[in-house]
Order: sequence, then structure tokens, then C-alpha cells
Amino acid sequence: MSTKAIESLSEDTVRHIAEERDEPEWLLETRLNALEALETAELPDVIQTPGRRWTDLEALDFEALVDPLNQSDATERTAGDDEVVVAPFTEAFAEHGDVLEEHFGSVLDPEHNYLTALSVALFTTGTFVYVPEGVDVEDVKIRAEMNSRSLFSQTLVVAEESSSVTILESIESGSEAAASDIEGDRYFSNLVEVVGGENADVQFGSLQNLDDDTYTYSLKRGVTDTYATIDWIESNFGSKLTRSDVETELNGDGSESQIVGTFFGSEDQHFDVNARVWHQAEHTTADLVTRGVLDDVARSVYEGVQDVGRDAWNTSSYQRENTLMLSDDAEADASPKLIIHNHDTEASHSATVGQVDAEDLFYLESRSIDPKTARNMLVEGFFVPVLEEIAVDEFREDVEELVIERLQ
Amino acid sequence: MSSQDHLKETDTEARFEFKKEEKSAFKSEKGLTEETVRVISEDKDEPEWMLERRLRALEQFQAMPMPTDWPEAPDLSEVDIDQIVPYIRPDIDVRGGVDDWTDLPDEIKDTFDKLGIPEAEKNALSGVGAQYESEIVYQNMQERWEEKGVVFCDMDKAVQEHEELVKEYFMTKAVPPSDNKFAALHGAIWSGGSFVYVPEDTTVEMPIQAYFRMNSEGMGQFEHTLIIAEEGSEVHYIEGCSAPKYSAFNLHSGGVEVFVGEDAHVQYSTVQNWSKNTYNLNTKRAIAEKGGRMEWISGSMGSKATMLYPSTILKGRGASDNHITIAFAGEGQDIDTGAKVYHNAPETKSTIESKSISKDGGRTNYRGLVHIADGAENSSTAVECDALMFDNESTSDTMPYMEINESKVDVAHEATVGKIGDEDIFYLQSRGLDDDDAKQMIVSGFIEPITEELPIEYAVELNRLVELEMEGSLG
Repeated sequence: MSTKAIESLSEDTVRHIAEERDEPEWLLETRLNALEALETAELPDVIQTPGRRWTDLEALDFEALVDPLNQSDATERTAGDDEVVVAPFTEAFAEHGDVLEEHFGSVLDPEHNYLTALSVALFTTGTFVYVPEGVDVEDVKIRAEMNSRSLFSQTLVVAEESSSVTILESIESGSEAAASDIEGDRYFSNLVEVVGGENADVQFGSLQNLDDDTYTYSLKRGVTDTYATIDWIESNFGSKLTRSDVETELNGDGSESQIVGTFFGSEDQHFDVNARVWHQAEHTTADLVTRGVLDDVARSVYEGVQDVGRDAWNTSSYQRENTLMLSDDAEADASPKLIIHNHDTEASHSATVGQVDAEDLFYLESRSIDPKTARNMLVEGFFVPVLEEIAVDEFREDVEELVIERLQ
Repeated sequence: MSSQDHLKETDTEARFEFKKEEKSAFKSEKGLTEETVRVISEDKDEPEWMLERRLRALEQFQAMPMPTDWPEAPDLSEVDIDQIVPYIRPDIDVRGGVDDWTDLPDEIKDTFDKLGIPEAEKNALSGVGAQYESEIVYQNMQERWEEKGVVFCDMDKAVQEHEELVKEYFMTKAVPPSDNKFAALHGAIWSGGSFVYVPEDTTVEMPIQAYFRMNSEGMGQFEHTLIIAEEGSEVHYIEGCSAPKYSAFNLHSGGVEVFVGEDAHVQYSTVQNWSKNTYNLNTKRAIAEKGGRMEWISGSMGSKATMLYPSTILKGRGASDNHITIAFAGEGQDIDTGAKVYHNAPETKSTIESKSISKDGGRTNYRGLVHIADGAENSSTAVECDALMFDNESTSDTMPYMEINESKVDVAHEATVGKIGDEDIFYLQSRGLDDDDAKQMIVSGFIEPITEELPIEYAVELNRLVELEMEGSLG
């Protein structure tokens, strides 16, 4: 679309990025194709009801936000085990080039939409996680700081047959960036692909706490083979506007996925969070759980999709979404959808919006707890069901800490 | 029981499927032009302001695109307005409807006899209006309601006799033609329908009914219903629809506007059994004042594609809304239905209960919107959708939308989808029922929330339609 064309972007920009990173030819080609796709690609779908567009992505000024040649980040990666590869792409081409080439873009089409194409064309950071057959690792950590106007990140996780891995990824604004010369709005784009091999087990936790000048686009998608499990934990605390999509395609018989989401919005933050699952094989199970809190004039938009295909016999699929409103001026929109094409399905969803329960509050106050503390205890308690799903202690503590910080 | 014998005796299928030879006093050309609109208006001898409204709506219709940006919306590509005959005035002497069935031409009287309308009138109704093609042909109400000032007449007559009321309320406040393309179409070529006026503190104890029958191939029916219930009044309006099946498509695009006064209570029930070549694209909307209560009961059994989302605007403090919808989609049917509620005042309440059944490749969708405006504190809404599926050729979708701009609220949405429980069937079979009967019984139980809201005659009718849909196709 001509309205979204970014003047400063050209083939040279993309070639320059690829050259600097010493990338193989196939990746350069993928990037160039993505760049070309920008001309026709559309922005991600946003829910529209009569007279209302839930998130206005059209309003983003990509011309001003995207500065492809000055991307900068500081990323710390720990593998916790020698048998697993946790490295930037640039360090993995030599030894694992064939695995990268085989799986890159296999889960998430780079040309899926305008923002994914932009991200693939321009990414300069990210991580390749490779868990060979039968390997079991618990402590993969990727902690990233964003130090530039814009940052595009691309992560690929390949978990081979009967492997197991727990990954924690976090992103925040670097202290340098906040203080220094970058004024005005920033843009962070994060694409994650997870390949869940037969009987593999992947838990991918993500924590986003960027500063409030940043716009975030994040799309994470996994594909399961037979008996594989992919569990996602998606926590969003920072950014002015966040568009987050977490998706699993259950392509293998007996495979499972859980998508747990949390967000906490204050001031004028806007969260557009989406969880989607496609059941495309027999005996698959999905569980989508999202809990969010809104304060001040924050706004949340939620879409959950459970799509059960014609051949997805014996499907179980559940979805819950709960939003807690702490302020009268907050706004919560939700749309939990069921698309069912096979009757051998047990599916349900529910969504609620409400405030802190007056009776609970009264009870705590009657025990001489002051109103503010009482409210905070109830909000912390509200997050417990999702915190319990987080397997990594460190990650759970991070999230708890951020909740408490917000409540101060 | 004896009063229901007549319902048992009839063959339901034959009652809806028969066709009559087309016989009209006036029939418009196919398609839609300014000329068509002028001709309709002239044939009805309408005041100038109504013609102007029609022409304005026509302009809006021509300017608006087809609604193609809805996710997973039914396919309307076949709906070509230029192939539709928008206006057929049946050949009867008395405009505005006779008040004695025997005054009708034989084939029209026979139509409604077969549909069981005169019989129902005797037993369960306060008044009946019957529309054949584009015009009301029969209209009658018991005298005791007339004496209390209740008005129940056909819409064309209301334009002449209750001009001020119609001028004030007709497509101005609830459903403006600009609302959507088919509302605009309706505004341009509407014909027939009912006008109901219930004065203050009047309770119309027995329901009043309108029945809409399309007989001719390739026609469009565009009746308009306007209900005004004044403060403290109460009325139950029932609408029934059917048509025989043709190979060409038919179009039904009705408009319904309901004004629920302070502390008034209106129930609007629809049992729709359009033939499976009919596109059923309606706009129904109610505005409820302080303490008013609106109830929409809808059973969508027929049609090729239905897009119907009765909506209520809860305008006054303490107003409430209740939706009960049942959709049944068999082979080749796409029933896309739901509800829309706007909570625009404090202490408003809505409950939406949706049940759907899909089988033999049919598709049902619940599409609903609940909006709670900033300041509508202490409002609550509860949405519950249950879907039953018979096979993996069918589709069952649920697409709710919730927009909550107020924190002091209680919002809950729940949905389930499943197949008929094997254990339930086994239990019934162990009691000596065969497989088909067991399934039918489970389905009847599934839709009970709606049948119990209807007078017994209609509940029986609805169950019968369900049985008909289920017959022979269970395996």
C-alpha cells in the first residue's frame, strides 16, 4: 500500500544489513522477497464494530519509527547446557546453517502481513535455539535491551524429537536509550517461530517491559508434530501500544498447547492481545487463559480464536479471559471466538469484565487492612491462576515484581 | 389437549410447501429505480414526506457497498436487487385488509387456513394481521382492545390514519436507513407490515400476531413493523413467516422498530420458516426508556441465509433486555444470527441466551455485540451460547464482541459447543426409545428455553418444525 511505503527503505538497505551480518544467500533472498511484499501486504487484522476500530494501527507513522541501519541492542543469552544451541543467527550459520534454512519461515510466513514482512526484511537481532533429539534443558534465558529508535528481532526455536526445553525471553528499554539522544517514539518488532518435533515439549515465556515511548509488535507462532506440546506465557507490562499475537497450529495427533497471557495497563497504555489455536489433527487439546488488569485510562483489546478443523476428531479446547478494572476510565474490549467444523469436540470459552469484588474488599478491611493494601492484595491474588502456570521460578518472580511495582 | 388436535392433524411440511398461482392487482417491474419507488408510493397514495423519505433511502442504498468486510459472513453474492420484484399488491378489494376471512379470495383464504392462522386467532390471540406478498390482506383485533385505545393496523393504513405518530417514529430514531445497506433498501421500497400502539398503563393480555407469506417466485418482501408501547403498558407481538420454495432466490428484508416507554414491557417473538431459497436480511431494533423491558424471542429455522441481530438500546436508567435465540441450520443453510445491546444508562441489565443446532453441512453462527458506555454504572450483562453439532460437515461458530467502557459492571460471557451426549442417547434407548426419537427428544429439550416463552400453539409448531428438520437425516 502506497500510504505505508517507507521512503528510506530500499533494496540497498536490506543488502547492507545482510552483508554486515555475513548472511547466506537464501536469507538475503527471503529478506528481499519480504521487502517486495511490503507493496501489497496489509496491516494485521483489527476488530471493527459499528463505528469503532479496536486498535488503530493505521495511525502509526512507520516513516518516523523505522530507522533500519541504526539498530542496537544488548542481548544476554544463557543456555544452561552444552547440548543445546542458544546463539544469535550470525554465530549459527556456519555450523547449523542447514537447520536454520530448513525451518526459517516454515512456521510463520514472512509475508503473512505488512509488519511481519517489514520485520523479516530488517531484523538485526534475535536468537536461534536448537534442541537436538532427546535433549532436556530447563534454563534457556534470553534477556534483551533495546538501545535504538527501532529494533527488529527474529527468533527460531527448533525442538527435535523427544526433546524438552524451557525458554525465558525478556525485553526492556536500555537505560542508555531512555536517557540519551533518542527522543520521541520507538518501535520494537519481535517474531518468534517454534518448531515442536514429535513428542517435544517447549515452554516459551516472554516478558515485555519496554518504556512508554515504544510501540511493540509481537507475533509468536508454533507448530506441533505428533504428541508435541507447546506452551506459551506472554506477559506484557510496558509500551505505549502493544499488539501481541500468540498462536499454535496443532498439526500432530495428540498434541497440546497452552497459551497463558497476562497484562497490566496503566496511564494511557493500549494492549491488543490475541491468542489463537488451530486444531488440525486428532485428539488435540488447547487451553487459553488470559488475565489482565487495567488502571487509569488504559485500554485492552482481546481476541481469542479456537478453530477446530473438519478432521480434528476428539478435540478439547478451552478459553478463559478475565479483565479487572481498577479505574472508571479504563476500557476493555473482548471477543472470544469459536470456529467449529467437527462435532466430536468439547469446546468452551468464557470472558468476564469486572472490578475488585466489594465484598472481598469489605472482608479484608474488616480485618483492619487499609483499603489500598486490601485492593493490592486482591489484584495480586487475581494473577495467581496464571502465575501458577509459569514453570520457571525466576520468570514468575519477575512478573510478580512487576505487578507489585505497578500497584505502588 | 383437544384445542391442539388441529395442530396434530396437519402435515406441517405440506402446510408450508404449497404454492398458489400468482395473481396480482399490481406488480412492479423487477429491479430498483427511482421510478419503482415513485410507482409504489403512488399506488399507495402516500403523503409527500413518505415519498421523500423513500427517495432519500434509495440514494443511501445506492451509495452504500455490500457488507463484505464482516469476518465469515454468509455469501450474499447471489443477491442481485435487479432480479427482485419488490412490490406485488395482491388482488383484493379492500386496501388495508379485510376483517373477515371469508371476504378474502379463496386461494388467499386457503393459504392462511393451511397455515392455521384463523384457527390460532380463535384460540390464543388478541389480534391478527396477515400479509400476502406486499400487502396486509387481513387485519382484525378483538373489540375490547380497540375500546381501550390499542391500535393494531397495517402500516400503510397507519401512514394515512396515524400520520403524526408515523412521521415522528418511522425510521427516524431506531433504524435510520443509513444504518446498513439493507435497512436503506427497506426504507426505499417497504410495503405492508404492522403498526401497534398501546396506550399508557394498558396490558394487552393475549399476544397479537402478524403472519407474512411470500407466494411468488423471485419476489422481495419488505414489511415494516412499528410498535409504540407507552408508559406502563405491556404487549406481546408474534411474527410468523413462510414461503414455498422456488429455484430463484427470494429476499426478505423487514424492518422492525420498537419503542418501549417508561416501565413498559414488550415481547417480540419470531418464528421464521422461510423456504430455503430465501435470503433473510432484517434490521430489528428497540429503544427502552427508564425501567422499560424488551424481550426478543427468535426462532430461525428456515431461509438459505439469515443475517439477523435484533438489537436493544437501553436508554433509560434500569431498563432491561432479554434475548433468546434459537438457530437451526440444515443442508445448505447459513444462519448467522445473534444480538446487539447498547447499555447507555446506569443500572441497565441484559441477558442473551443463544442456542444453535447445525447438521448436514449447515452453518450456524452467534454474532453478538454488547456495549457498555462510560457512565452506565452498575450495569450487568450475561451472554450464554450453546451449540449442538451433528456431524463434521457442519459448522458452528461463536463470535461475541464486548466493549466495556465502565468499571462498575458485571460482564460475563460463556459458550460451549458439543455433540449430542452418547450417554444421554444410551439412557433414552435403555428406556425403549429408538435412536431417532432419542435424538429428537434431546433436541426438544435443548430448545426448551424458547418454546416455553411461546403460547402453547407456537411451541407445538416450533417443536414440529424441529422434528421435520431432524426426520430421516439422523444416523
